[in-house]
Amino acid sequence: MKKRMVAIFLMATLVFSMTGCGRENADTEQKREVTAYVGNSIFEGSLDPVKGAMSYGYSFINNALLKVNPNAEYEGDLAESYTISEDALIYTFYLKKGITFSDGSDFNAEDVVFTYETVHNHQGNNENVDLTRLESVTALDDYTVEFQLKEPYSPFFDMTAMLQIVPSDAYQSDTFDTMPIGTGAWKVVQYDSNQQIILEPNENYFDKVPELSKVTLVYMDADAAFAAAGSGQLDIVMAGAGYAGETIEGMHLETFETMDVRNVSLPVREEQTITDREGKEIIVGNPVTSDKAVRQALTVGIDRAAIIEYGFQGVGAPAMSFTDNLVWANAQEVLDGQREQAAQILEEAGWVKENGDGIRKKNGTKCEFTIYAPSGDNDRYLLAMALAEDAANLGIQINVKTATWDEIVTLQNTCGVVWGWGQYSPTVLYSLFQSDLSFTGGYDNVVGYENPAVDDKISEALSSNSQESAIKAWEEVQQMADGDYPYLYLVNIEHCYFVKDGLNLSKETQIPHPHGHGSPIICNMKDWSWSKEK
Amino acid sequence: MRSKRTVFENRRIQLVFWVVLALCYLLGIFFVGLGVKESAYGICFEDKFLAPSLRHPFGTDGLGRDMFFRCMKGLSTSMVIGILAAVVSSFLALVMGILSAVLGGFVDKFINWAVDLCMGLPHIVLLLLISFMMGKGMKGVTIAVALTHWPALTRLVRSEVLQIRSSLYVQTAYRMGKSPYQVAVTHMIPHVLPTYVIGLILLFPHAIMHEAAITFLGFGLPAEMPAIGVILSEAMNHIAAGKWWLALFPGLLLLTVVVLFDVIGDNLKKLWNPQSGNQ
Repeated sequence: MKKRMVAIFLMATLVFSMTGCGRENADTEQKREVTAYVGNSIFEGSLDPVKGAMSYGYSFINNALLKVNPNAEYEGDLAESYTISEDALIYTFYLKKGITFSDGSDFNAEDVVFTYETVHNHQGNNENVDLTRLESVTALDDYTVEFQLKEPYSPFFDMTAMLQIVPSDAYQSDTFDTMPIGTGAWKVVQYDSNQQIILEPNENYFDKVPELSKVTLVYMDADAAFAAAGSGQLDIVMAGAGYAGETIEGMHLETFETMDVRNVSLPVREEQTITDREGKEIIVGNPVTSDKAVRQALTVGIDRAAIIEYGFQGVGAPAMSFTDNLVWANAQEVLDGQREQAAQILEEAGWVKENGDGIRKKNGTKCEFTIYAPSGDNDRYLLAMALAEDAANLGIQINVKTATWDEIVTLQNTCGVVWGWGQYSPTVLYSLFQSDLSFTGGYDNVVGYENPAVDDKISEALSSNSQESAIKAWEEVQQMADGDYPYLYLVNIEHCYFVKDGLNLSKETQIPHPHGHGSPIICNMKDWSWSKEK
Repeated sequence: MRSKRTVFENRRIQLVFWVVLALCYLLGIFFVGLGVKESAYGICFEDKFLAPSLRHPFGTDGLGRDMFFRCMKGLSTSMVIGILAAVVSSFLALVMGILSAVLGGFVDKFINWAVDLCMGLPHIVLLLLISFMMGKGMKGVTIAVALTHWPALTRLVRSEVLQIRSSLYVQTAYRMGKSPYQVAVTHMIPHVLPTYVIGLILLFPHAIMHEAAITFLGFGLPAEMPAIGVILSEAMNHIAAGKWWLALFPGLLLLTVVVLFDVIGDNLKKLWNPQSGNQ
């Protein structure tokens, strides 16, 4: 409680000092500054690309070779063009010329080689960009870089969009955590841990230099941020779906498309004791969700629109698969709420209503299981509660509980968990469905899915020598795996923000937001502007 | 007329009156809370975020749950934990206090050391550690609260017993060949009982507050159980959005319960131990 009070106090002093400067020139000239609360995830990690910072596609200080465009396709950022060899082992990138870093030094192939070699040699520091299959990286000339892979690995292409380049001369591991030097549109002028990050435009930026003169990203609690917005101290406030029904004077609500799909993992194995990698005996599986009929009935029988209405104030779109703003997704039309069909599936599998409580039973086993929402994530808890209410209509009782992530690592083996996925790289499919990743302790394949045909398809996708064939294989992976219903997809969420009237966030250049607890709105910060008329 | 005035002016009767009133209120909440069925605070999405009204005196939350019944249920849960904790803690305190004073020597040193150890650590930290270690939830909280409230009372009992031990009649009893056990039961316990019972009652508010505090911090009762700590931490998300009733009523209710336990304890102290004011 004390910590929270201190945080509120600091926030208050901080905001007062900021508005102090902002108000003075507001009347005299065009406002060119923005103070934003976009969640705290930017503050939680390093800003150093070498350590995996900003690898989800919304970097603003450094640039990668490729970037994601608003259609969720890759295009050149620092690279002009690229070629991939026939055997998928050699990737050649041709770099743009005349680009300089914010410290004035020139960008060339040497920096690319330096960045990739540093990450490759210190892979343990970077869990987001996987370069373990990289054999060597060489500068053929100042503006051509050649990557040699050990084995064909199609997601390497995604890695080149995730890893941003740092300058070979100026790179320092300790200062880059907070003040990285990059080629991007912004540079950090002040970094106060868990308080604020102040950004100013990089005059050397090779593309359109931002119109705004200063952006301040602030760190605070979500409720404190909402209160600060209410008193006019913030220009952008990320808000959970729970706040979507609220209004703030002088601000309006904007929602942004994401690729984040909220879903519930449904353990597919029968309840059993297995020995894990460390030789410990663990209990896995669930007697109810291991029945495919239950999983299928839930998938077709629940009414996602109603769940979203109740749990998320109607913000978000029903989803039964990954969303079609991902190039590799096998998006499916949402056909749910079919209670008769669900009832039929359950009856045929032996789940019948015996007594008056409305919950089905099979051989004395109640059709009942528990799902966990991460504690502290109120949106997921509400979603789970709304799901449980709706599932009761099918005669399936879902008990909703909360647990910390530390506890979920164990609970996920036997119970459902509310997950959020959303990333540009299709490697997520590998971690969801690959058999030998099951019960390895991380968040991979928590349901215990096991299907040799799917495993084969995954290897085929990983070793494809073209993006087209890789995408085709990934789509087939989803077609096969989704037929077993290991995950109950619920909603393609939308990120909600309260935005000060007159601030234009250039919605047309926003990329579909990846998973990032609200931070991805900064992906096109360089295009933001205040409207001219006051 | 005259007798009425006497009754009104009689401090003793006034005190009893307050104690009985407070007790009725607390027992009322306790039994109403125990009797509340889960359906009374069930989810009803149509009714979410309703301001207080006759139908929902404390309003409803984001899932349309009736806050009045959730608060009642939560408070009675807190009281159950409080009772368990107070009984366990005060029993520990009684036994250790008497042992320490009667046996003296090594036992006295050890118990004093244990008291200092427990009191040296910030109470809330100790609670968090124990609760976390015992797996949180109802079990964790109860054990944590029960095992951390004995030190102050132990000291009190010990000093009380020490005082009696040096008195003449106890010394005489020893000389007449009574064993320490007999002395403890026949002379010590009846003497420290008033102090002990008052200490026990004054433990309640501490226990309840501590349960609410660690639950609020997320180390206590889980979110799916109605508890004041859970309700208040949920309310934190909505205060900024103007849902004042989510925090105000549960907070007030918790406050009244704690204050009333204090009232009972203080008044009983005056009744049983009128000289305490001169100490």
